[in-house]
Amino acid sequence: MQQLNTQHLRDYPKKPKQVYLFGTCIVDSFFPDTGMDAIELLEREGIEVIYPQGQSCCGQPAYNSGYKDEAKAVALSQVKQFPLDIPVVVVSGSCGGMMRHHYLDLLGDDPEINNFCQRVFELTEFLVHVLHLKPVDQGPKEKVALHTSCAARREMGVHLTGNKLISQLANVELVIHDYESECCGFGGTFAVKHADISAAMVADKSKHLVATDAVRYVSADHGCMMNINGALDYQKQSLRGEHIASYLLNRIKGNSSKGSL
Amino acid sequence: MTNTKADIKAVSKTARGNILAKLKAEVSGADYDKLPEEVPFNYPEFSREENLAQFISELEKNHAQVIKTTKANMASVISEQLKALNITKLLYGENDEHSEVIAALDSKIDLQTYDFSIDNNKERLFNECPAALSSSRCSIAATGSIVLWPDENEPRSLSLVPPVHFVIVDANELYADFTSLIKAQQWQDKLPTNVVLVSGPSKTADIQQTLAYGAHGPKALIVLLINI
Amino acid sequence: MKHIIEEESKYAASAKAFRANVARDLGNEELRSNFRGAMDYLMDKRKSAFSSEDELEVLREQCKLIKQRCLAKLPHLLEQLEGNLERNGIKVHWAETITEANEIIAQLIADKKGSSVVKGKSMVSEETALNDYLEERNVECLESDMGEYIVQLAKEHPSHIIMPAIHQNKKQVAKLFADNIEGFEYSTDVDTLIQQGREVLRNKFCQADVGISGVNFAVAETGTLCLVENEGNGRMCTTIPDLHIAITGIEKVVEHLSDVPPLLSLLTRSATGQAISTYFNMISSARKPGEKDGPQEVHLVLLDNGRSQAFADEELKQTLQCIRCGACMNHCPVYTRIGGHAYGTVYPGPIGKMVSPHMLGLEATTNLPTASTLCGACGEVCPVKIPIPKILLRLRQESVKPKSQQPEVMKGQGAGRSSVEALIWKVWAQVHKSPTMYALSMWGLTRFRFLMPKKLGGWTSVRTAPKPAATTLHQRVKAKQEKAKQSQQERG
Repeated sequence: MQQLNTQHLRDYPKKPKQVYLFGTCIVDSFFPDTGMDAIELLEREGIEVIYPQGQSCCGQPAYNSGYKDEAKAVALSQVKQFPLDIPVVVVSGSCGGMMRHHYLDLLGDDPEINNFCQRVFELTEFLVHVLHLKPVDQGPKEKVALHTSCAARREMGVHLTGNKLISQLANVELVIHDYESECCGFGGTFAVKHADISAAMVADKSKHLVATDAVRYVSADHGCMMNINGALDYQKQSLRGEHIASYLLNRIKGNSSKGSL
Repeated sequence: MTNTKADIKAVSKTARGNILAKLKAEVSGADYDKLPEEVPFNYPEFSREENLAQFISELEKNHAQVIKTTKANMASVISEQLKALNITKLLYGENDEHSEVIAALDSKIDLQTYDFSIDNNKERLFNECPAALSSSRCSIAATGSIVLWPDENEPRSLSLVPPVHFVIVDANELYADFTSLIKAQQWQDKLPTNVVLVSGPSKTADIQQTLAYGAHGPKALIVLLINI
Repeated sequence: MKHIIEEESKYAASAKAFRANVARDLGNEELRSNFRGAMDYLMDKRKSAFSSEDELEVLREQCKLIKQRCLAKLPHLLEQLEGNLERNGIKVHWAETITEANEIIAQLIADKKGSSVVKGKSMVSEETALNDYLEERNVECLESDMGEYIVQLAKEHPSHIIMPAIHQNKKQVAKLFADNIEGFEYSTDVDTLIQQGREVLRNKFCQADVGISGVNFAVAETGTLCLVENEGNGRMCTTIPDLHIAITGIEKVVEHLSDVPPLLSLLTRSATGQAISTYFNMISSARKPGEKDGPQEVHLVLLDNGRSQAFADEELKQTLQCIRCGACMNHCPVYTRIGGHAYGTVYPGPIGKMVSPHMLGLEATTNLPTASTLCGACGEVCPVKIPIPKILLRLRQESVKPKSQQPEVMKGQGAGRSSVEALIWKVWAQVHKSPTMYALSMWGLTRFRFLMPKKLGGWTSVRTAPKPAATTLHQRVKAKQEKAKQSQQERG
C-alpha cells in the first residue's frame, strides 16, 4: 500500500505568464546555481520569472526551534515581497511546505495570508501540475536515485512529482534505494542539537544511496543534500546529489551534470 | 507505611473533585449538537458463503483448527481429536444444550463437569483439566472471532485454563463484523459479567518477533463448525 | 496554576539523562540491530493489514472524531462510567498523582491481605512505578505478559509500549532465562523459551490473590472495561485471582459501545497488523451470585498524572486522543536508531515526547521535543490523526518561551530557554525581515566565505562543512537582469 497524503491535493491554475521565484536562504547563500537553473527551466517554458530582491528566508529555522514570534516577523516580511496575484514557485519542498501550510497557523487565517498560501507551489509540483512539463532527454543513459525531503513528501506530495519528472527522462533509469521514504536526519537545528542521532541517520541514508549503482541522486531540497552530500564527501564517496532543477535542465540541454556540494 | 482505609477514600474523593472540576471548566458551554458527523467506512455486503469463507480463513491464519461437522457427528469428532492429542479428560459446562454430544463421547473419556466454584479448585483446574468444551454465542466473519458469553454454567475459566479448547460454533450465528453484531443484538443493553472475543489459540511474538502459540491460555483452539 | 505533577517520579532523572542515554545506546550495535529488525517487521505488518487506502483514511477520520467527541464530553463520560461501573459492582477510585494511585492500590491489596500479585500489561502501572511501590511494601508483583516478564527478570523497563522486550534478541532472552530460572537449560528456541515462561507464570496465576491490569477502552454507556491482548495473561489476571484492580488514564473512556469496534480495528492493525487480537476481553461486573469464577471484587483506578494539564489546551489536548498502538514509534527514524530506553521515560518514541512533558514537566523532558527531525512519519501513520509534529513544535515553543510569560500552559515552561539562543533568534529575525540588513549579511557571508570554519561542531564529525557561494542568488539574478537590460539598450 502506498502512503498517500491527501494534504497536498489541490486545484491547479492554468499556465501563467509570470511567476515569482522564492529562492530560499540556503540556495541564495550556498547554491545559487540551482536558483539560476530553476529560472532558466521556467523561462524555457515561456514564463517570465520575477525574483524579488527583498526575499530572504521562509522563517522555518526559527519556527522549528520554537521561536514563533521571530518566525512570524520574518514570514510576514516575506509575504509582503510577493504582492502580485501570480504563483510563487519555491525551489524546496520543505520551505514550500512552510509557506503553504504553516503560514496559516503562524500568521492567522486572514484573506491576504490565505491568498498567498494558495499561490505557493513547490518547483516540481509546478512543473508537473501547472506546466505539464514533458522534458525531452538529451543526456546519456544513466541510473539515478531520488531522495525526497520529508516535508516535501508529506506536506507537498513531491515524491510523486519528482518521480514523474525523472520517469519521463528517456535515458534515465530511476533506482529506488532501501528505506527510500526514511528521513536523512537533517531536520534543521536537529542536526546540531542532536548531532549524534542525526549522524546515525545520515550514515544509513548515505549507505543506502551508495548501495544503489546510481551515478548520482537527485533531490528537490538542498537542506537534505547539504546533509547527505556532506556525509558522502566526508566518507570520500564519489556519489553526489544534484538539485532536480539543475538535473532536469542539464538533461534537457544534453549537458553532463556533476552534483552540487 | 500504609495508610488506613479512610485515607484512600478521602484521597479518591479529593482527586475526583479536583479532576472533574478542572475538566468541567474546560468544557463548560460546549454545544454537543454541533459535533462533526462521524462517517464510518461502508463495507461491501458479503454473501453467507463469503462470510463463512472469510471466518474460516481468518481463524486458520491464526492457527485455529476449524472442523466442519454436524451436531450428530460432533461427539465422534471430539473423541477422535482427543485421542489424537492423547488426552483422556474433558471438562464441560453444566448446560443441557450439548448433553447429547457429551453422552455420545467415547466412553474412555473421563468427563469432568464444571460444577464447582473456582475458589478452592484452582489447582485442579490448572493441573488436572487438559481439555475443555464450550459453546459460543455467535461469531464474526471479518476477523474470524468467536464470541464467548460465559455464565453460571460455562464459567470464564472454562475456555481459558485448559490447554485445549473445543468450541462449538453455529454457522447460522455468523455476523459480518463487530459493528453490525453489536447493533443487531443491542449489546449495550445487556452485557453480562464478561464477554470475550476469541480469534485463535493464545500466542505471543514477544521474543524477537517470533510467533509462538500457547503463551498462557489454550495452546489449541479447535472450532467445531455446525449448520454450514 | 496549581501543579499536581510530582517531582518524585524516577523517570524524571532518566529523562534528564537523555543525551547520555542516547550516546550509550547509539554505540550498542546489537541493540541497534534488534531495533532495526523489529521496526522493519512491525512496519511491514501494518502495511499488509490495510488493503485499501480508502478504508484506512475513512477509519482514521472516523476514529479521530470518535476520540475528539469523547474528549469533548470527558468529565461527563467519566461520571457516567463511574455510575455504571458502581451499579455493576465495580468500585471506582480517582488519583491525581502516581503516588495517590499507588497508595490506593496498595491499600486495596492490604485490605484483602494480599501478598502475591500477577500483573497483565499496563503502561499506566509503569507510569506509577507500581512494582517498586508494592515491593517496598512486601507485596510480590509479577509481570505476566511474556515481554514484561522478560523485562522484569532483566530488571529493566519496557522499551516499547506494545512489545516491551523488543530490545532483546532470543540469545539474550535465552541467557536471561538460563541465569534466572532454576533448571532451565540454555536454548534459543523461541517455543522452548515461551513454554518455560508459561510454566512459571501459570503457577503464579493459580496462586496469586490479586490481578492487576490496564484498560484499553472504558465504555461509559455500559460500564465496561475492555482489554486487548494475545497471550491470555490479561484474561488470567482478570479472571483467576479473587481481587482484580484495573488502572487506567482518564482519557481512555469512550461514550458508546459502538465506538469500540472501529477503534479496536485500527488499534490492532496499526500496532501489529492483526485484524484483531487473539482475545478481546470485556469486563462489566465483578462475580455475580451463582457464578463459579471471576474476581469477587473489581476496582478501577482512574489516573490523571498531567492529563488534565494537556486537556486544558486545545492543541495539546489532541495528545489525549492516543490509543497506544505504538505505530508512531515503529515508524520513527529516531526511535529506530536510539531504541526505547534512551528516552528515559515510560512512553518512548513520538507519543512519549508528547505525553511525558505533561507527566514529568518540561524541566526533565526539554530534550525530547527537539529530538525529532519533524519528518512526519509518525503523524502519517497515527490511527487517530494526532498531528504529532505540530504538537512537538508547540512543545518546543513552550520550552523556549520566557518562564514568566502568561498564561502558563504547562509545568516547566521555559525550561529549555537559553538567553544566548534567544538572542541569536532575535538578531536572526532582525536580519531576515529587513531586505537591507539581509543584503548586508549576505554580502559579508560571500565576501568572507574563506573565514567559514572547517569544523562546525557535531556537523563536521561526520560531514564536511558547506561552503558559501562566491556570489548569492540575489546578486546573480541582479547581474543577469542588468546584462539583459544592457543588451537591450545596445540593440535599441
